[in-house]
Order: sequence, then C-alpha cells, then structure tokens
Amino acid sequence: MAFVSMTINGTPVSREVEDHQFLAYFLRETLGMTGTHVGCDTTQCGCCVVRLDGVSVKSCTVLAAQADGCAVTTVEGLATGEVLHPVQRAFQTHHALQCGFCTPGMIMAAVDLIDRHPGALTPEIVREEMEGNLCRCTGYHNIVKAILAAAEEIRGPSSLAAE
Amino acid sequence: MLSERTFKAVGKPLERKEDRRLITGKGRFSDDFSLPGQVWAAMVRSPYPHARIVSIDAAEALALPGVLGVFTGADCLRDGLKPIPHNPVPSTRFDVKLTGRDGASVFIGPHRLLPADKARHVGEAVAMVVADTRDQARAAADAVMVDYEELPWVADTSAAAEPDAPPVWDELPDNVLVDSSFGDAEGTAAAFARARHVVSMKVHIGRVTGVPLEPRAALGSYDAATGRYTLHAGSGGAVRQKRELAEVLGEPPESLRVLSFDVGGNFGTRNRAYVEFGLVLWASKKLGRPVKFRAERSESFLTDYQGRDLVTEVSLALDETGRFLAMRASNLSNVGARCVSLSPLSKGSGLITGSYDIPFATLRSWAVFSNTMPTQAYRSSGRPEVTFAIERLIDKAARELGFDRLALRRRNLVAPDRFPYLNAVGSTYDSGEYEANMDRILALADWQGAEQRRAEARARGKLMGLGFANYVESSIGTPKERADIIVTPDERVEVVIGTQPAGQGHETSFAQVTADLLGVPFEAVTITLGDTDVVSAGGGTHSGRSMRHAATVLALASEDLIAKAQRFAAHLSGTAAEAIHFEDGLFRVEGSNRSLSWFDLARHAEDPGLPEDLRGGLRVRRDNEMHTPVFPNGACVCEIEIDPDTGGLEITRYSTVDDVGRCINPLIVHGQTHGGIAQGVGQALWEHCTIDETSGQPLSGSFMDYGMPRFDNMPSFKTQIVEVLSPTNPFGVKAGGEGGTTPAPAVIMSAIEDALSSFGAPHIDMPATPVKIWTAIQAGRAAGAGQAGAAG
Amino acid sequence: MHPTRYHRVATVAEAARLFAGQEDASYLSGGHTLLPTMKLGLRQPSDLIDLGRIEEMRGIEAADGILSIGAATRHAETAASPLVRQHIPALAGLAGSIGDRHVRHRGTMGGSVANNDPAADYPAAVLGLGATVVTDRRRIAADDFFVGLYETALEPGEIITRIAYPIPESAGYAKFRSPASRFAIAASFVARTGGVVRVAVTGAGSAGVFRARELEDVLSRDFRSEALASCRIDPEQMLGDLNGTPEYRANLALVMTRRAVDAMGEARSYK
Repeated sequence: MAFVSMTINGTPVSREVEDHQFLAYFLRETLGMTGTHVGCDTTQCGCCVVRLDGVSVKSCTVLAAQADGCAVTTVEGLATGEVLHPVQRAFQTHHALQCGFCTPGMIMAAVDLIDRHPGALTPEIVREEMEGNLCRCTGYHNIVKAILAAAEEIRGPSSLAAE
Repeated sequence: MLSERTFKAVGKPLERKEDRRLITGKGRFSDDFSLPGQVWAAMVRSPYPHARIVSIDAAEALALPGVLGVFTGADCLRDGLKPIPHNPVPSTRFDVKLTGRDGASVFIGPHRLLPADKARHVGEAVAMVVADTRDQARAAADAVMVDYEELPWVADTSAAAEPDAPPVWDELPDNVLVDSSFGDAEGTAAAFARARHVVSMKVHIGRVTGVPLEPRAALGSYDAATGRYTLHAGSGGAVRQKRELAEVLGEPPESLRVLSFDVGGNFGTRNRAYVEFGLVLWASKKLGRPVKFRAERSESFLTDYQGRDLVTEVSLALDETGRFLAMRASNLSNVGARCVSLSPLSKGSGLITGSYDIPFATLRSWAVFSNTMPTQAYRSSGRPEVTFAIERLIDKAARELGFDRLALRRRNLVAPDRFPYLNAVGSTYDSGEYEANMDRILALADWQGAEQRRAEARARGKLMGLGFANYVESSIGTPKERADIIVTPDERVEVVIGTQPAGQGHETSFAQVTADLLGVPFEAVTITLGDTDVVSAGGGTHSGRSMRHAATVLALASEDLIAKAQRFAAHLSGTAAEAIHFEDGLFRVEGSNRSLSWFDLARHAEDPGLPEDLRGGLRVRRDNEMHTPVFPNGACVCEIEIDPDTGGLEITRYSTVDDVGRCINPLIVHGQTHGGIAQGVGQALWEHCTIDETSGQPLSGSFMDYGMPRFDNMPSFKTQIVEVLSPTNPFGVKAGGEGGTTPAPAVIMSAIEDALSSFGAPHIDMPATPVKIWTAIQAGRAAGAGQAGAAG
Repeated sequence: MHPTRYHRVATVAEAARLFAGQEDASYLSGGHTLLPTMKLGLRQPSDLIDLGRIEEMRGIEAADGILSIGAATRHAETAASPLVRQHIPALAGLAGSIGDRHVRHRGTMGGSVANNDPAADYPAAVLGLGATVVTDRRRIAADDFFVGLYETALEPGEIITRIAYPIPESAGYAKFRSPASRFAIAASFVARTGGVVRVAVTGAGSAGVFRARELEDVLSRDFRSEALASCRIDPEQMLGDLNGTPEYRANLALVMTRRAVDAMGEARSYK
C-alpha cells in the first residue's frame, strides 16, 4: 500500500492506494469520479486521458502512486461552476460527440493540445496530434471542427493562419 | 396530418440536450454504477475452438483469497436456467422468410449462460468466478482447472459448409441451419439464356467487430425482501433484455428491472443479451450480494457479438446495350457457434438487386455454423455486403465489357416514376430519386475535376483512384413502439419511450418532434429512456427504426393527447369540445379571446371531481405497430492516393448524398453519416477478425492488431442530405443512421481498383492493408500489366 | 493487475541497492512499456522501482561533439529540446513520432532502449548514430548493446543513466507505421558521422534492430538514394506477420532508407 497526496481539480486529496492501482481506477473507484473512462487494455484508445502537472497523460498507464505530489485535472474540473470551458462548449456546438464515452479523454486531450502546442493549429496538425484518441461514433470530422473553433476562441484568430 | 408551417424545431440543427452531462463527466455508463457490498465476476474462457468439457476442478480457485464461488454449466442446468431466447429468425411481416433446408424450421443452437457439454468457440465462457475484488476474481479464474477434450473444428465460412466439415452441433451434422431460395427461377434462367453478356464474381466479405468504446459491463443485484432483480447494463433495448433475461432466470418479467442509461456505442453489438448479464443476476441471488462484471477490451475483441462474414457469389446477365436482364446470387452467412440473429442474411437478401431495375433474380440464402464467435447485426446489417456485391459486379461488367461505369448504372437505375417499386426478390422500395442522387454526388464530389487531380497526383509519384457506388438499403426493425406523453404542472412535457440510443441523440430529436406536434418549447420536453420500471414497452434501437417509429407513435399519441386536452379545456371553460380549437400550442375557446396553454390545463389536471375520462393527469399512452419498411438510398464518391512503393493509401476526398426521408435534425444526421462512413471504410482498409488457419485462434485481440479509423487516417467529408419523403409514415422519415456505412466498402474498393487499373485490376480482399496493395502491385508488374508510376 | 510493491528512489545507487534486495524487481521509468506488459499478465514483477525522479538521469547536454541525453528524458522533451533540434534534428523528429502525444509525455528514452522492442524507434537511432549506452556500471557501444528480440547486453539490475550520441554531419529517419499498432513495420535511421555511413533498420528484422551493411557500403561510396536502386535486403532475415510479409518488409526497409537519405535532417513518418 502507498499513501498518496495530490490535488485533483485543485482540491487536495490524500488516500492509501494499492501499489498496483492505476490513476484511472483511483479516480473512478476510490474517489467515485467516474467522468474519466477506460476503453482498452493496450494504452491506445485515449478515453482515460487526464492532465498530470499540466500535460496530458493516459491515466490507465500511470500508477496512482506515480501521481503522488502531482496536480491532476479531469473533465469534471474544466467548467467553472455552470460556465463551460470553451472546448466543452465547442464540442456541444459542433456535435463532436455522440455516445459520449470517448468524450472526457477527447476533451482533455484537446485542452492540452490547444494549451501547449507551439505554433498554429491546422486541421492536419490537429489530426496528427489527436491520433492517440479513438472515437467510434463521429468519424472525427466534427471533433476536428470543434477543436479548431475552440482554439480560435482561446488563442485568437491568428492561431489558424498557416505558417 | 402534418403541415410544414408548424415546424419550429423539426428540421433544425439544434444542439443536443444529452451533451451537457457527457461533456462534464456526468455520464451514466454501466461501469459507473456501484452498489454497497458488491463483488466481482470473472469468466473462465475456452482456449480451444471446439472442445468437450470433461471436468472442471475449482478447488485451487476456491482456496484463493476473496473467492466466493465458482459456477459452471452444470450448476446452470441444476438451477433450471433456460437458454437465452434470442429469437434470431426475423419474423416481421416484410422480413425475407428464411427457413432450414426444404422449409424446415431453423435449428439455432441453444445459448445457455454456461455450456455443460462443449465449448464451441475460442473465448466461450465455461465457468464464472465471483470474488471480493475484480483482481481476485481474475486471478482465481486463471486457477480454475478445466479438463478439455479437443475436437475437430472449422472456422472458415465456405469450409464449414463443405460436406466433410466437423459439425459444431450434433443436432445439425452438416452445419447448414438455413437454406432458402427466392425469386423467379424460370424467368431468371430464360433471361440468362438469352443474355449477350454474363459477368460473375465471388467474394468473401470478412468478419469485423463493432468496437464500441465502452466495453460491456453489468451489475446485477437481488432484493430478497421484494424478490426483484435489478440489472445495470448498457443494451440495445432494456425492455427486450428484461423479457429475455427474466425468461432465462425462470422468473416473471415484473421481477426484473433493467437500467440502460448512457450506452457507449452499440452498432449492433448490444442488440442481443450477453451471458454475463444473466450470470451476474443469477449469482447475485445465490450469494446475496450485488455482482459486477466488466469486460476487458481483449474480452470484447474475443467475445462481443461480431459482424458481417458473408460469402457471396453473384452473376449478372446483360443485353448488348448494357441493360440488366437478370441476376443470380448465393449468399452464405457465417453465424458462428450458434445463431443469435439472422438479420444480416435476411436484410441483405431483400436488397440484392440494389438501386437497379433488374426484372428477374434468384437468390439462395443460406447460413452455416462454425467454431467462431456468433455474429449478428452490425451497422447496416447485411446491406454493405449486398451493396458491395452488386456495385462491384457492375464495375466488373463495365471494365470487362467496355461500358462507362456511370452510364451503365444510369441505364439501369430504378426510375422515379416506378415507385413504389417491387424488386425481383419481393421488396417494395417506398420512394427515391436515384438518378438525381447520382447527379448531386457527381457535382458535390467534383467528378469533372478528377482527371486533373489524377495527373497532379501522378506528378507526385502517387496513384490516384476514383471510386463510385450507389446504394439503397432498408429499415424494418421491431414493429411495435409505445410512447407516454405527460404534461406536468411545472411546465414540462415528459415523453417515455422504448428506444435505446447509444449516441443517436434521441433525447434531442424526439423532443423536436414532440415540441412541434404539441406546440410547446423544445426546451420544455424531456425524453425518458432505459429504465424498465418507467419504460413499459418498446422496441429498442437497431436497423434505423427509432426515428421513424418514435415520430409515428408520438404523432399518434399527440393526436390522442390533443383530443383529451380539448375535452379537458371544454370542461374547464364550460363549453363543448367542438368549441375548443387547438393551434400553435394553445387551446382557444371559440367566440372568445380566451385561450389556455398546455400548462394551464396541467395545473388543473389533478383537480378533484373531474369526469372519469379526464382523470389521471394530462397524459396519454399510445401503442403503434408498423411493419412497412422504408428504403434510405444515395450515392457515394471517394478519391484515394496510393504510394506504389509502400502500398500506403490516403483518402483525399469522400462525398455522400443520402436520402433519409424527412430529416429531423441535420446536425445529428450528418454526424451519423460521418460515423457510418468511418465504420464502412474501416472494414475496407483495416478491420478484420483474423483467425489463424492452423490453430483456429483469433489473432486480432487488441488495438495492436485490429486497425481502426483514426483522426489521421480518415478524411473530412462532404455530406449532403436529400429528403424524399416516405409515404409510409406521417413524418415521411426513412432512416439516417446507416447510409454512411452501406456503400463505403464498395466505394473504397472501387477506388483502389481504379488506382491500380494499369496493373490489371488485381483482386484484393478487404481489408486492403498496405502489404496487400503493395503485393498486388508487384503481382501486376510481374504479369507485365503496368508501368511504374502510371495510372489508367 | 497482479499486485506489486512500488518504491520511489532519489538516486541510482539507491535504485540498484533496492533491486538487488528483491526477488523479482523491475525498474519503472515512463511506464509505457512495462505497465502495458504487466496489464496483459506477461510480466509480474514483485517490486517496481520508479526511476522517474532521479536527477542524474535527467538533462540534455552537448559538448565535445557528443549529445548526451539522460535516460529519464521523456520523448516529448527530447522532441522539443533546442539542443537536440540543433545538433541531431532527426533524433528530435524521431522522438516526436513515437506513439502518440500522451505517450510521449510519459515514455522515456532509457525505458524504450532497455526494452528493445523490435519495432521501437530509439534502437534505430542508437545503432544508427553509433551511440554509447552509459549505465551505472559501464559504457556499452551500440554495436554491442542490442543482442536479440527484446534482449540487450544489460545485466540484471543494471541501469541505463544516459545515452551519449556522437553528433553526426547529418542524419535522417523514415518510418512506415502499422495501421493498427502504429509501431514501425520498417524504419531506417541513416547517419553520416566522421565520414562513416551507418544505416540502422528497426521494425523489420527477425532478430530486432540491425545494420544494413550492404546499404552502408553503397552509400559511403555514393550518398544518394538513387545509388540504392539495385540493392536488395534479404527477406530471409525479415519478420513476417499480419502487418507484412518478409518480402514486403525487405522492400519497405529499402524504401525507408532511400527516403531517409532524401530527407536528411528530418524524421518522416509514413502510413
């Protein structure tokens, strides 16, 4: 057993965890935060993406113990009260989700991409950088639109200019 | 019944109501539910494709920490558990009637929760372990000692139908459970005899799996005080699964409550109950604890109900002008180790002639058991296969006989004045403008500019290919649907209905329909689904049935409710019902400027002293039964570029025109088309449930082996919706959920053939992975058919 | 997943000491090689020793013609590093092509090299650049390091602390990715260092990463992709699986080598 302390969406959390428990299940089962989903067993689908110390990670392949001392952000922590994050709003506006299962990881991946990708975001770059997230419902078309729209809102229109 | 001018919400691309909870992490998927004291189940699965279960030794497993029980097929029999009543033979009025040989009834191979006799496919669950934690259950499952006697097996579809194939079921030694023939044999033979040309093709459209991103999960519990079971499990229809699982348990249906709330993708994989759902319910009663099961993704790849797997042989007879005279087809479906659904074979059978006016056809529809995971409906069940057959056959005819592939199609399309059109295998197409679809798609896809783009691609060392396909498909589905509409005093309209969305947006589109029927704000309407204690009846979601059935039963329910409300308004205002006029959501008293809103009425709906026929609240329940199928249709063009040095393929353009009948929400329908395209393209290029020929072992057990449509291998789309209303239902709805998939495998393979035409049109089996494309190019070069870098 | 004991250490010495004291320990770095194999039950170490916070295994330096990268450096860091981009841009590009974005935020160079997956990218760079693998016990030349499928010259408990890459005149990388796993079906790292040409191929060989000697000879006489036109790689030495026949891989390895030569200074990913 390990004792971990971390912040989750800004709130300090301390718990005993099994050494072999993954962060995704620590969130879902220990803390009851079921917004983060698990869709595969080979670290490929991306449903479990959260942000760990400000970068996107696949929480199914990070031990809770490895996250000790870190800041975790999940989809539940994106909105400010009733006010949605621009990425969440863009997903709704552009119909970038259908069943919603991949959506939490998709949104967190998009937030990280918009936040940290140096340089302009084009449809090609979005598609390349998002290849670690699978969606079976949407065919990706609307998700690309949503990410570009949110990027424009967050970064400003010049972010879409081709360089 | 409906006038266009009343549509305020219908037809609008309104944002979805269900999104809020899904984008904030508040979705309610099966694994999100837990109950105090719950324990976990894990399955012991057969490593062999076919093996007798000689004995099961659970001693070592039972001794492991946390283990509460080990259950086997013998235990199931002892407790009187029945097989799952899958009811796989489609039996609605317009379903093609499949039978066994010589009209015999179909032997389906009973599906017990755990078999006592044999395992009939790799991965079949032969025992269940229950333990305190999931890890403990899985560790204990590894410790269960099953003594198997390996038996001869067969996996390949054609091989399973051979006379010497090992039988999967002792009761059916030749494995052929269905063998029916349709069409006019004499007329077809005569047409072939006088034909100038005959073109033939045989192709195996392989096995794929649905891969909903939510692995299946189930939480079963039993309340000894009430004698009721509760099941949280994503499904394709909670009402159906309640009925089926209650029958398995030998309990009355009212004793089981099924809750399917948010479902992480279905595509057909959840249309039939899984053994784990029955097992956790049964175990929860035996152990007095809630029992939970969650599949690993590898378990999903192995034991989700799979899709497609059809061997089709088709021949087309043409005259000298290219007119289609007749068609012959033999469609052999691989149902797997038992028959769970014959929907793919049946649906495909009715559509073998496609969008074309082919006066004569004969069809043999047959099905075979094999030692593989059972198959059932998967996105556009049966239709991509037959669309592939007819469209690729026409491409072959054009190529071999020197016709232009578009002109040959136009020559033979069902003309607009022929609807309702009865095809040569007995399907009546409702409505459509097939040639107009072709005109639209050619414009949308900039067909004219393609040769220029081909030359540009060649200059970059790439082989461009241009693919074309028409399609017509059918939506039948369970014929019955029920809707409750309740107008509440707090200004809400609640609809309870028995469909089961997994992303199709019913909470939104059904609200749009209801809002316009009743003249209430879209925001005021809520749709309740998925809890069988609330949803008393309904057909679930499959086969594109939901919008059509929902809109129709809602239209009928609204009529009833408006009539009741008129009587109620009359009662409240002391006039006769005839003096109340309903318009734009208001009940106006004739000869006055008094009008009452729905919510005005609802506030009085529980008043004491109401006449009997007005009591019970401002609500109505309506059942509807509708058998007549509808026929969505359209056309599709794609462009690809192949890198001849690597076999790598990129889709550069993909355009579709889809006649969905009335489109309730274009945002949702375009989204359905996009996702449907991806699944069809996936089958053409990457997806295959591969089985090792020597061992019978499935090889595509994870995303490491099973290629998927991804952000970086899918193009963006140009999708156009066409609305040729169907005369079969009040809103004129056809269906919009599956037309993206139906032509996709055909259009991709058509494009690949076009790209490689200078190499002699080599045959490539789907999925057309880079190694296969490259290998075909080498073979073509060796045969001297092409020059490096050139294209047709 | 099978239970295990997790330990976090601050120094290499502590890690090695702890390893020696356990029955069946594994080192944990980025975790994106080891943890997936543990999830599948292929490995069940009694103890995990997390190297992720050891300072001496971090950091990137360039001096005296050597680019030295700490073994705990994440792929994303290598890809974004101004030093790596300046001195060996193909290595930065290769790092930026591993897995996906989220994997690159966790996976480390040391973890990948120690595992020697036959389709991993770094082994091609290490072998192609003639790098030195620096451990807590010794320095191992690339040519001696990769000994077989998933096998390296590392002794039990030995820890890779840095990898020292000679800075080449130029280097290029080209890979063709499996549609499913996204690992390389065949990839080639080409480098010219001190007038010597090395060509290291990953993804294709049945014994793991290998040097394509015939291609090296041809290119050292004539460094143009056209010069390779008549070369052939022996299919007998190639892997065969659903992703590719041995003939296909042999062809692909040659094509990727040609494309690397045509794009020196870059890493290109094809599919």
